Amino acid sequence: MAKKSVWSDNRFWQRSAAWITGFASVLLIWLTFDSMGQISMGTDADLQSGVTKRVPAPTVINYKITYEMDTKRGHEVPVIGEKEKFFGRDDWSEEEAASLLHLGKLGSQAKNCMNCHTLLGNGAYYAPDLTKAWLDPAWGPTGSMQAMTGKNTKEEAMAEFLQHPSTYPTHARMMPNLGITAEEAKGLVAFLKHMSSIDTNGFPRNFGRMQGAVNGK
Amino acid sequence: MFEPFVDVVPSFFGWLNQGPLTLTIFLHTVIVLPMIWIYKQEKARLEQEG
Repeated sequence: MAKKSVWSDNRFWQRSAAWITGFASVLLIWLTFDSMGQISMGTDADLQSGVTKRVPAPTVINYKITYEMDTKRGHEVPVIGEKEKFFGRDDWSEEEAASLLHLGKLGSQAKNCMNCHTLLGNGAYYAPDLTKAWLDPAWGPTGSMQAMTGKNTKEEAMAEFLQHPSTYPTHARMMPNLGITAEEAKGLVAFLKHMSSIDTNGFPRNFGRMQGAVNGK
Repeated sequence: MFEPFVDVVPSFFGWLNQGPLTLTIFLHTVIVLPMIWIYKQEKARLEQEG
């Protein structure tokens, strides 16, 4: 009788498959917990003591956020700077900021922003990517969007636009009027400001090429 | 092939994902090396049985 080969032996493949499945399971469970640690939201105390978290606390709306090139990492990262007024206040408490953000998140879901826009990689590219919308220079003091709405601050300009998008011609694909209330618009702007402060490893990749988006230049 | 670790939060998975070869080498090591060991064991068993 011919000598039996290990390659045609069932037990070899069974044991190999058991090893790979078991090892992959352990790795994936570990990866899950590792990711959960990385994406957990920071606290107000972290912000005050300058602890860098991928997802900062909701009170980040009290601070100025800039987008700066990190040569070591090879892409832009959001940098949380000094205090900045948001709708006239820079003392939003943790509870207030969290409930405002929550309102914005629910609003973004109720109005289905993702039907046209992309948020943190989820959604569509029919309309601009909103992941770093807060840092878009068009909403800044010299930007066309702020000028168009006639408001003096970025947050007021964004809130005004969100409430009456169809009155401001922006694009060949104009945003429809979604019946967003003043309070919802405030929440949505807070939601967008917080989102722009999330370290997304440089996503969206081409945002830094936008004129004026990086280092305010 | 190996670049300095610059991820925002130090993590084993960040290290693993830093370049195209790090993950490949890691997975080949942990999958193929035990398979070689299993192969030798099964070969010895078959020889004993035969």
